[in-house]
Amino acid sequence: MIRTEWRTHSPRPVAIVLLDRPDKKNALTPAMLDDVCAALAQAGRRAGAIVLGGSGTAFCSGFDLSLCKDDSRALAAMLTGLSRAIRLMRELSVPVVVAAHGAAIAGGCALLGGADVVVAHSACKLGYPVVRLGISPAITAPFLIGAIGAGRIRERLLGGQLVSGDEALACGLAHQLAASAEQVIDDAAALAEILTAKPACGIAATKAWMNELDGADRHANEALATSLSLVGSLEERERMQALWA
Amino acid sequence: MSELATITFTPPLAALLLNRPEARNALSIDLLRAMHARIDELTARIAAASDIHVVVLTGAGKSFCAGMDLKQVLAHPTAPLELLASLAEFCLKVRTLPAITIAAINGAAIGGGCGLCTVCDFAITHADSKMGFPEVDLGVCPAVVAPWLVRKIGAGAARAMLLRGGIMSGEQAHRLGLVTECVRTREALDAAVKTLADKLAAGGPNALRATKALLNQLDGSLDHAQAMRAAELSAAVLATAEAQAMLRAKLQE
Repeated sequence: MIRTEWRTHSPRPVAIVLLDRPDKKNALTPAMLDDVCAALAQAGRRAGAIVLGGSGTAFCSGFDLSLCKDDSRALAAMLTGLSRAIRLMRELSVPVVVAAHGAAIAGGCALLGGADVVVAHSACKLGYPVVRLGISPAITAPFLIGAIGAGRIRERLLGGQLVSGDEALACGLAHQLAASAEQVIDDAAALAEILTAKPACGIAATKAWMNELDGADRHANEALATSLSLVGSLEERERMQALWA
Repeated sequence: MSELATITFTPPLAALLLNRPEARNALSIDLLRAMHARIDELTARIAAASDIHVVVLTGAGKSFCAGMDLKQVLAHPTAPLELLASLAEFCLKVRTLPAITIAAINGAAIGGGCGLCTVCDFAITHADSKMGFPEVDLGVCPAVVAPWLVRKIGAGAARAMLLRGGIMSGEQAHRLGLVTECVRTREALDAAVKTLADKLAAGGPNALRATKALLNQLDGSLDHAQAMRAAELSAAVLATAEAQAMLRAKLQE
């Protein structure tokens, strides 16, 4: 359910890693998150820049909650996998461009936290409507504070309202808008081609220094622990089961 | 030879001018040394007379500052660290100056030159000026300016801007939060700077100083060790064969 396309480019190729479960709007499963991590790590060894995108009509609709109905272990596995994927995107020495088309919801929006650049489009829907499910979006908070600021993050994570691509650009969740949903991956790939042509050494040093300056990775474990602390709680179980009742 | 950097006092304003127009005010060791001397002079005057409340930083000629003097960067293995550490120290002096600073971006402000604008409390430019951080395009790491850019526009936007590299217009810089104000033409700049400077100078001097000092404390601006580490990191990347080759090619242009 993960597919990597390669585009040859000098001096190093561009890897386009795609969430590929279009019939479910690329809803994430524990296995998909493992595979995303493996695909990103592999791409990072060869590519000069990576695009993370999705097949079909939406980038990612979040976790596959049908797996969480009777059992909270899948939820714990997905939170852990998501945290790992975000951290891996940042650890890679090459830039990662996220192509957010259609929708980037909940866990799907959290993946934006690992991006160096986010390309979206005007009509895209983005956000974290998860507290109503008894789930805490804490894992994404350290990475998002740098993007949209400590003030605005409260509204985004606690309010749970979705925003449009235009609003995402204005608040810093996205950095560039494509003309249409169909154009997002191509624009992201075009940017990745520009990035892969830049000298690797300066890019890698700059990315590592930006990681150090925002310091988000230092808080990743406590953020994950906060999200995990609610998994299996009465509130989470009741709300999750009500979703499927 | 005329002074490489000058300072003019017209209390409550002062103007610090980079005065190496024939080299687009590129940061050479001598220019940085002169900039340090002028800002030290300014700091001493403020400590003694407390009559300067707003300082305008600008460039002589067509450019604000073209960034590092590439010829000097490549001249000697120890030159990059000397230049970068001197720039990092100068940025700290601008930031901690007990007066409000305005970068009047008269023309191109590139790399370290754009970094100087980022350190100031305010920055004004015109629609046609050129600004940006093309360091990664040359195999170099903009480590010294990065912490200031993070404080100015936030970590996420700074990451995207520095990794993408390139140059933007004054208008784009304004859209991305790099400058506080963008006037339409170069001709309109001086009047806009004067208006802002006068307005700022009308504030209570103690209130301005106290507020600026607190903001510096809150956003980590006083982290001297980080600034020095940034200079070392940038110098280390500059020393790589890749960066040396790119810079030599650039110098030949």
